[in-house]
Amino acid sequence: MVLRKTALSSAAVLALASLTLAGCSAPSGTSDQKGPASLELDLDNLATTTPAGTKPIDEVKWNLPYEPSSIDPIFTWNYAENTATANLCESLLRMKPDLSLEPGLASTVDQPDDKTYVYTIREGVTFWNGNPLTAEDVAFSLQRQIGEDSKSYWGDYFSNVVSAEVTGDMQVTVTLSEPDVLFAQAMGSAAGAIVEKAAAEAGGDAFGTPKGDLQCTGPYKVASWDSGKRLVIERNDAYWNTEVKPLAKQISFSFIADESTAINALSTGDVDGQFFYLPPAGLSQLQKSKNVTTTFGESFVFWTLAPIGKDGGLGDEKIRQALSLAIDREQLSKVVFQGAAIPAATIAGPATWGYEEDAFAEAFKEFDVTADIEAAKKLVAEAGAPSEPIVLAVQGSSAVHEQTASVIQAAGQAIGLNVQTKVIPVEQFGNLYFDPAAREGLDGFFTTNYADFADPLGVYSFFESANSHDYIGWDGADAEIAEALKTTDDAKRAELVIGIQKKVTEALPWIPLAYEPTTMIQSTRISGAVPSFAYLYAPWAVSIGGTE
Amino acid sequence: MSFASFLLRRSGGLLLVLLVTSFLVFGLLYLAPGSPLAFILGPRGGTPEQIAAVTEQYHLNDPFIVRYIAWLGDLVQGDLGRSLVYRQPVGDLLLARAGTTAALVSLAAVIIAVVGIIAGTWAALRRGWVDQVVSTLAAIGLSTPVFVVGVALISLFAVGLGWFPTFGVGTGGLDSLWHLFLPAMALSVASAAYLARITKTAVNEERTREHVQTATVRGLAPGLIVRRHVLRNALIPITTVLGLTIATLIAGAVVVENVFALDGLGSLLVKAILQRDFAVVQAVVLVLVVAFVVVNAIVDVLYTFIDPRISLGSKQ
Repeated sequence: MVLRKTALSSAAVLALASLTLAGCSAPSGTSDQKGPASLELDLDNLATTTPAGTKPIDEVKWNLPYEPSSIDPIFTWNYAENTATANLCESLLRMKPDLSLEPGLASTVDQPDDKTYVYTIREGVTFWNGNPLTAEDVAFSLQRQIGEDSKSYWGDYFSNVVSAEVTGDMQVTVTLSEPDVLFAQAMGSAAGAIVEKAAAEAGGDAFGTPKGDLQCTGPYKVASWDSGKRLVIERNDAYWNTEVKPLAKQISFSFIADESTAINALSTGDVDGQFFYLPPAGLSQLQKSKNVTTTFGESFVFWTLAPIGKDGGLGDEKIRQALSLAIDREQLSKVVFQGAAIPAATIAGPATWGYEEDAFAEAFKEFDVTADIEAAKKLVAEAGAPSEPIVLAVQGSSAVHEQTASVIQAAGQAIGLNVQTKVIPVEQFGNLYFDPAAREGLDGFFTTNYADFADPLGVYSFFESANSHDYIGWDGADAEIAEALKTTDDAKRAELVIGIQKKVTEALPWIPLAYEPTTMIQSTRISGAVPSFAYLYAPWAVSIGGTE
Repeated sequence: MSFASFLLRRSGGLLLVLLVTSFLVFGLLYLAPGSPLAFILGPRGGTPEQIAAVTEQYHLNDPFIVRYIAWLGDLVQGDLGRSLVYRQPVGDLLLARAGTTAALVSLAAVIIAVVGIIAGTWAALRRGWVDQVVSTLAAIGLSTPVFVVGVALISLFAVGLGWFPTFGVGTGGLDSLWHLFLPAMALSVASAAYLARITKTAVNEERTREHVQTATVRGLAPGLIVRRHVLRNALIPITTVLGLTIATLIAGAVVVENVFALDGLGSLLVKAILQRDFAVVQAVVLVLVVAFVVVNAIVDVLYTFIDPRISLGSKQ
């Protein structure tokens, strides 16, 4: 079903959206005005930590947006799963709250050559059951992600890995078929998480489910998982890192999926906290509540329009450029995200600059988000407007999708592009990612995506023409991407990535829209949870404690 | 009809209904667009190799009839299959959630029976303004969607006054009763309103019957007349409606369970449908059908207690 909207009705939708979202009292801002529409947040100063809790607390009740399907790290490839597993299973490298990586279960990493990584395993680490962590466990955890038969969701990062073998008492050597800088960094995400070999083999298919006995080394261990009701994790008092002293004895996860139910539970104190992975309506309601604090944290998440099809309406580079130029991203961030988003000039945002930050920052200055209708009109004139309308897929019952589509429709209208929307029910929307048949008849869809670590290449590697994320078969930077993936020298890689970024940002195989901070709600009863994107991969609950 | 042959006939019918329902549900799910892959692989998709591997692993490309027969074969051996999304046996998922739905529906049934019968009888006997008030409330209750009632109850009693928790089933015992009270209220409003109306009509009808008038003329105590002659006869339509209502409550619980984030069969069913988790949808639907048929059978048995003149399984 194609919803045909006239300019009038989309303008009305937009006006209505800004009224309801921004609140009637907010003055109508001009597009160059920086401040948020109604939420209080400082986008230039996003948080990485919250003040540590000061006193012990028996139980912290935390909500996950849905029940994890598994807490076995090889299957944790999504928000709720990672939020839980991050406190349980540790990786070879650890992501710090500021999103940089430090040694984790590997005390050192050596690189005798570009294709070999030698991990020295930390001494004195034990699993929850008391068994010591061995090189055997590490090799096993990596091996089960290697090869075509592997069930791991992290397979992309292991595509160049030939073997992971025990080469010493506390040493594991990973050999690659060709250099791969993403593999090295992915060891700081759940892809590099280590589980006990014996437990995983004994558990079989049930490992990591409510019936299977997960064994990891983290500061929290699984206490109980009551299918459908709650997942309870408790402090691991034998945790190897004695410097880490969690104050919360128990974290009890609920699985409230309904957003307004979750907001009610937070505002009444029935739950103590939640990470919101989508910008929800109702955040301003929580900001007004005296019972909770809202923190906006550093994040790798971005909101983007992914064009589909080489021959479609967005197949022409100039049309993509024109549409991108016509979008008022400031307005979009303000209206759709209530100000809780940063207008995005590139796909990968500043949070991903984990190395050579100055070089990335310098290169970033070249791009801006100022709309230029005249230049956009000129581009459309040069290319010729497509005869068929440009059809964007909108996820059913998502306000963010619908409102963003309205903004883009209005932008298209202004420059003579006929943009239409097609509502795809939420249960079918996911098919767009991997099923070419589902993308037929569409010219673009919206997606929230993120980098797994602070390297823009993790995102820009999507645009190698063979990658499943490259829906228009754009091949403008294949050679550079392949080269950058092999470049272990940070300075050289940064130079290459900056070149790729320039090409991607000009050709727009994806059209950047906004960077989304991590939103964390915490009851005033507690403090200390990590509000940065590290919450998906590193123990974010160890600093939680009660407040006075 | 003897009790044994009644049971036999009912079970035979049940099996037939189950077979037809399961075929329909399986077929409809199969025809509906969307694939469980999106949920198995997560929202960020997967590599082509991964997609192929998962498709193979879960037989997602097998023809409908092959999958259906395989499922049926497993079912006969007592295996409800495995959930694609939760990686667990479906039986475990059902067991973990059946208690919540049973408790919710039972509590709602008690509220419906008590409120519906008392309000309906009261309206019929008192007439006048009582009747007006009950009728108006019943009309409002009948026409308000369940989720609206749920949200209103949460806003008022959980968020506003803080008397009740906003979600979940609590930790068992009295705590669970406290947690389930608002959801049960929300679930029972429309049905209680309906039952009140039916009760009122039935009581009114019985009051005009000859034997009641005879009893009144003979000067029997009004309370006795109401209990013995009016309510007893009115109980037949009341029980029928109550039985049917309870059976439909199980399906109605879907909405309430979502609003109150309860881990019942209803919310499991909704998620499973969205995620194309075939085995789970199939199993929950079968449980609902069984419950429906069983509740109706119980109603039939109750008839014979209420009025011994009615024989078991008769169509009267």
